[in-house]
Amino acid sequence: MDSNKKYWKGLEELEQTPAFVKNSKSEFAESLPIENVLTEAGLSTKTPRRDFLKALGFGLGAVSLAACQSTPVHKSIPYLIKPEEVTPGIANYYASSYNGQSILVKTREGRPILIEPNPKSIGINRGTDAGTQASVLDLYDMSKLKGPKAKGSDIDWETADAQIISALNAANSSGKQIRLVASSINSPSSLAVIAGFIAKYPTAKLVEVDAVSYAGIIKANQASFGKAAIPHYRFDKADVIVSVGADFLGTWLAGEEHTQQYADNRGYKSLENKKMSRHVQFETGLSMTGANADARVAVKPSEEGAVLISLYNAVTGASLAGGLSTNDKAQKVIGLAAKELVNARGRALVVTGSNDVAMQALTNAINAALGSYGSTIDLDNVSYQYKGNDTDFTAFLNDASAGQVDVAFFLNVNPVYDYFDTEKVKAALGKIKLKVSFADREDETAELVDLITPNHNYLESWGDSSVRDGYYTIVQPTINPVFNTRQAEQSLLIWSGNTVAYHDFVKDNWEKNILAGTAKTWKDVLQAGFEYKGDKPAQAYTFTGDVNAAATSIVNTNKALAKDVEVQLYQSVAIRDGKQGNNAYLHELPDPVSKVTWDNYVAIAPKFAESLGLGENSLVKVTGENGYTIELPVLLQPGQAQGTASIAVGYGRTKAGKAGNEVGKNAYPFAKLVNGTLQFSSTAKLEKVSGIYELAQTQTHHTIEGRNVIRETSFKDYLHDPAHGSGNHGEKHKTYDLWNKFESPGHKWVMAIDLNACTGCGACIVACNVENNVPVVGRDEVRRRREMHWLRIDRYYSFEHDGEQVTEEKELARLSKEDANLDNVSVVFQPMLCQHCDHAPCETVCPVLATVHSSEGLNHMAYNRCFGTRYCANNCPYKVRRFNWFNYWNDSRFDNYLNNEFTQLVLNPDVTSRSRGVMEKCSMCIQRIQAGKLKAKIEKRKLKDGDVNVACAAACSANAIIFGDLNDPNSEVSKALKNERVYYVLEEINVQPNIGYMTKVRNTFGA
Amino acid sequence: MSSHNESILREPLVTGKNITYAKVTNDILVPVENKPNKAWWMGFTVAALGAMLWVFSVSYTFWTGIGAWGLNKTVGWAWDITDFVWWVGIGHAGTLISAVLLIFRQNWRNSINRSAEAMTIFAVICAATYVVAHMGRPWLAYWIFPLPNQFGSLWVNFNSPLVWDAFAISTYFTVSLVFWYTGLLPDIATVRDRATGLTKRIYSILSFGWTGNVKTWQRFEIVSLILAGISTPLVLSVHTIVSMDFATSVIPGWHTTIFPPYFVAGAIFSGFAMVQTLLLITRKVMNFEDYITMFHIESMNKIIMTTGSIVGVAYLTELFIAWYSGSEYEMYAFANRVAGPYWWAYWTMMTCNVISPQLFWFKRIRTSIPISWVLSIVVNIGMWFERFVIIVTSLHRDYLPSSWAMFYPTWTDVGVFVGSVGLFFTLFLLFLRVLPGIAMAEVKLLVHTASHQQKLKLIKEGHLDPEQVQFYKDSLDKYDSVSEEEIKELAK
Repeated sequence: MDSNKKYWKGLEELEQTPAFVKNSKSEFAESLPIENVLTEAGLSTKTPRRDFLKALGFGLGAVSLAACQSTPVHKSIPYLIKPEEVTPGIANYYASSYNGQSILVKTREGRPILIEPNPKSIGINRGTDAGTQASVLDLYDMSKLKGPKAKGSDIDWETADAQIISALNAANSSGKQIRLVASSINSPSSLAVIAGFIAKYPTAKLVEVDAVSYAGIIKANQASFGKAAIPHYRFDKADVIVSVGADFLGTWLAGEEHTQQYADNRGYKSLENKKMSRHVQFETGLSMTGANADARVAVKPSEEGAVLISLYNAVTGASLAGGLSTNDKAQKVIGLAAKELVNARGRALVVTGSNDVAMQALTNAINAALGSYGSTIDLDNVSYQYKGNDTDFTAFLNDASAGQVDVAFFLNVNPVYDYFDTEKVKAALGKIKLKVSFADREDETAELVDLITPNHNYLESWGDSSVRDGYYTIVQPTINPVFNTRQAEQSLLIWSGNTVAYHDFVKDNWEKNILAGTAKTWKDVLQAGFEYKGDKPAQAYTFTGDVNAAATSIVNTNKALAKDVEVQLYQSVAIRDGKQGNNAYLHELPDPVSKVTWDNYVAIAPKFAESLGLGENSLVKVTGENGYTIELPVLLQPGQAQGTASIAVGYGRTKAGKAGNEVGKNAYPFAKLVNGTLQFSSTAKLEKVSGIYELAQTQTHHTIEGRNVIRETSFKDYLHDPAHGSGNHGEKHKTYDLWNKFESPGHKWVMAIDLNACTGCGACIVACNVENNVPVVGRDEVRRRREMHWLRIDRYYSFEHDGEQVTEEKELARLSKEDANLDNVSVVFQPMLCQHCDHAPCETVCPVLATVHSSEGLNHMAYNRCFGTRYCANNCPYKVRRFNWFNYWNDSRFDNYLNNEFTQLVLNPDVTSRSRGVMEKCSMCIQRIQAGKLKAKIEKRKLKDGDVNVACAAACSANAIIFGDLNDPNSEVSKALKNERVYYVLEEINVQPNIGYMTKVRNTFGA
Repeated sequence: MSSHNESILREPLVTGKNITYAKVTNDILVPVENKPNKAWWMGFTVAALGAMLWVFSVSYTFWTGIGAWGLNKTVGWAWDITDFVWWVGIGHAGTLISAVLLIFRQNWRNSINRSAEAMTIFAVICAATYVVAHMGRPWLAYWIFPLPNQFGSLWVNFNSPLVWDAFAISTYFTVSLVFWYTGLLPDIATVRDRATGLTKRIYSILSFGWTGNVKTWQRFEIVSLILAGISTPLVLSVHTIVSMDFATSVIPGWHTTIFPPYFVAGAIFSGFAMVQTLLLITRKVMNFEDYITMFHIESMNKIIMTTGSIVGVAYLTELFIAWYSGSEYEMYAFANRVAGPYWWAYWTMMTCNVISPQLFWFKRIRTSIPISWVLSIVVNIGMWFERFVIIVTSLHRDYLPSSWAMFYPTWTDVGVFVGSVGLFFTLFLLFLRVLPGIAMAEVKLLVHTASHQQKLKLIKEGHLDPEQVQFYKDSLDKYDSVSEEEIKELAK
């Protein structure tokens, strides 16, 4: 039924008033006062409440939006499609090689962050040197070129290629020379590429030249044995080692390999077998090798040849003229050493650092007389590390100056910087029509060339190398090329008209030549990283050279040297020849002996300096024979030969990059060419100039003050009583303790450090820096004693006086006042890092528990909790804690390396980078311990010895640092710590350190 | 002589003629109720400039990091903690004067306790700024307190002396502040009663409704005594705990059981010296000579001399024990202090702290205002060096010679220190302007009664029999330290 009910909303509707009818047609029943509002009158009326609230709401919103600081945007690109081999958080390791040494490159999310020695690598080395460790930073160097350049302006590769090919063709057709100037190339594939290049352009030739040349050895071996090569030295087979000016543990030839061989004859395992080599060193400046010697005699550069003549006479009974007539101590030691050498026939080795052919020839004669060939010297498996030929390079310069060279390529060489006669190089360059450099940056030479076709970093490259007969390593890329660079070999292939990719070329070359006859495939090689075919049996060689001629030549050379101040040029252990001159890690690595960072200096014996009126850090002007002058600060170096000065080359780069420019002064121009080889002994005039230049040293007190922090003994005493000098005698005192004993039920991570194996090289320091993101702080901060190294190597001198070792400051001051002879300096190195004390003094004093003990015996540091009272550092008896005085990674004052996003890619993502105001210190690479434990857990097995190793120990070639679990009775470290030589530094204050040190044993004469 | 005992005559603690309660109030409130004089403005300008230097230096440190200071990997504390301990030490005299001397009923303290307590509070404020400023991440300074938090189960380390220190300093500051303010109440009420307008309203609030009735006074006395009781152990505890920052460590030169008494004595020593420095100026500039008399100056000099000698004995004991211990590190630490690279700091300390206070054995020196003032400053220089010697020379050469280093201050180190002195004086000068610098209510207790004054009048006018005069004279001689001449003067 229909309803007649009517609903109405108001009386108006019911009544249908005219007003209602009219209004119901419009949208709003009541007309809005829009007109009123918009008129001037409306606007000037009092704000209604709702308007006010609207305005307030808008205003507040706008203000808060405006107040929002735009937070820095960190772009991160997610793996939408996950690359097969990349799992975020899991590191990938690739086998590669650096300087011919097989390494593993650790990459995280596609970026290489760490270099480790290849643990499977046999036949060459166990660790890596500082340069290798630091090389990963070179990849992320902001100073590198972003692409090819022509005279300062960017060009593309096609243009560059066209220009080069036309120049090559022009030169080839006109019969003009094409020269490829390179530092020693020992890569079989590179050499094959170059051979192809030469085949295409017959006027081309490869000129190999090394900044620090070993041509003298090659020439001497040619003369002595008819074999122009550098032999493979076997320090591990030598019981008696005599070195005349050869820093064989550091910079001479293959320092890292020698270190391993040397330490194997002196470390704790060798000592447990009652065996230790004896090492006698004659040298000018106190080198790292000299610091490790059992007997060290300071001789002038002009006396080095005479030492060899005397030694030859003493060993063979000959009577060559020109033997040592001065320097009584040296004469005495030569007598003793000769006797030992002869007794150790077949187990003796004499090496000479000089690049003088005659001196090397005489050394060969001595070694031949001692039966070293076939035992300690292997001339059948020769080294290809240094093949530079000084005469070739001179010839190149002459040809170029004469306008004979039309095209020259420069690969991994920088002669404008590191050749002694810069002007000649520059003049020669000016005559070459097209000069092309493969440099990765616009360095001193590249600045003057026409085209720079930048080479890849080795971490972006394919390649290989063979530093020794039968030993081949592979270089494989670990990252896509970061910049628009191209591998030099690829460029050469393209210019030779060969379109093959260099990777295929290398693979092909390996499969055809190196892997032929083996069952291995290219893939096997990529996994293993190297191919070792075994050594050929080493033969004995008969010396066929002319000893008399050599002696005569030596006498003449010496005469020329014996005037003014004799200057020895040397390579510093960190910077070497200066190729890695922009590497901040290396600049901040203290010199093993002088502990100086970020500079080179003139090292002078204290007494000699006094006679010249020079003191520590006073500036001195050095004027070379050719008139070249530099001003450098003086370092008073105990053990430096009187009347001599030592200056490191490799510094004073002007075009290295941000970190390396103008660090120190260039000392290369003091070198000279004598008898066709580069000589690094010279003479100079020293002149004091006004002013002081403070060298940045990480250690400024140099003696141990008679404290038992260093404990040492002689080999003779050791044989009698292995615990001699270690303080491990009889019953220990009963000790009482305020604290409860710390239990470590699971693992207990400890370390053993063998003071007798440690050579002080500092590779561990750089390894630690790279692994743990330890910031580089720069020269000024090091001067303020604020270097951040978690691991340092303390170096202490002791001075022999009247048969006693003097180490106390006061006593030394008295003796030097009495003008006593303090030239006989002994050195000991002590790696010092957090001792992870069980009763750690740092832990009790931290107000906020930022540093606490773990149940695995580790002293933890919780960066996030630290608010920086620094009490822990004050209370640390070992002073190993480091404070972040500034925000090193984001502060324009520390523009050494990390202050840009690109270089920050080198940081290890497993380790927090610390902010300002926070304490840090050695964590015993806790990230590695955790990773190792995790891996074992995933594999459902117990952690076994060797699963985890700390970065420092992994880098150490000498096996001086042994890390492991003390609760595992079979671990290497447990066994090592049972050694009688083990003592704990500062054990008397009962902090219960967890790092055991083994006494230093010196195999001295007469003792 | 008559059989009844007249009370004896005593040397007046408040000098000056016609001393009345009204005069006391008028005299003491001059700086509060009037525009400051030129001397105050000059002092305030210099002090305020210093305070601005402090603001700048501390801001610069916060902005750049602790690296702005001269510290290094070996010397992790230097000027910062030296200044901290120095200021805490200075802050010691306040409590000693207000609490310990109150308990021992040394009424002469009444004239100096107000300023000394104010000085304590400002010194502790200065010290506290270092606690925060020396931190690497000062914005997290509150972590030192065991506050409930949501960071996880994070708590403070009750083993750490720095935590004890935070408690000690904050307790000390709180108690000192309460004690000081309680003492101020009757005086603020006096100011209130004399003021008009806004000033009156402000002081009304500050006076907590002080009425001045008997019950109020009684409670006031009881509270003062209770607070004195609470504060007395603090005199010993604060610097004992500060000394434990060092004594509980393993560093030779720090690791010493003698530190607590030695630090407390040193603190009182420096505190009194600072009171002396301030009051000698204040009494002159503010015309408080009648209230802070030679008697006060001399008494404080005696305390300085005594505590200085205690400190001297402690220095020698340290040297002896270092030798006697047979520990090479300990021996070296002290040999290095005496003759190492910082020998000049050690010998400055020895001269200023041990030798110079011995001059106070001479009464002429003890009662000479200029010499007292100079020596009070010398003592505080010495005490600064004491802390510098303890901190820097112990740290810079400890166990491993490889880490031995020197400390060189930067301009920021100097700025923060000089600035903190400026801050201290700014606060002190402001205090003198707004609050009575001398505890009026307590000084009024010392104003001799009318009978006392009448007695003196009678003696002077010769109305008393000679026997009685002799009794008074003897009593003065017997119970007080008034000199012969003064008695003669009186007998004339």
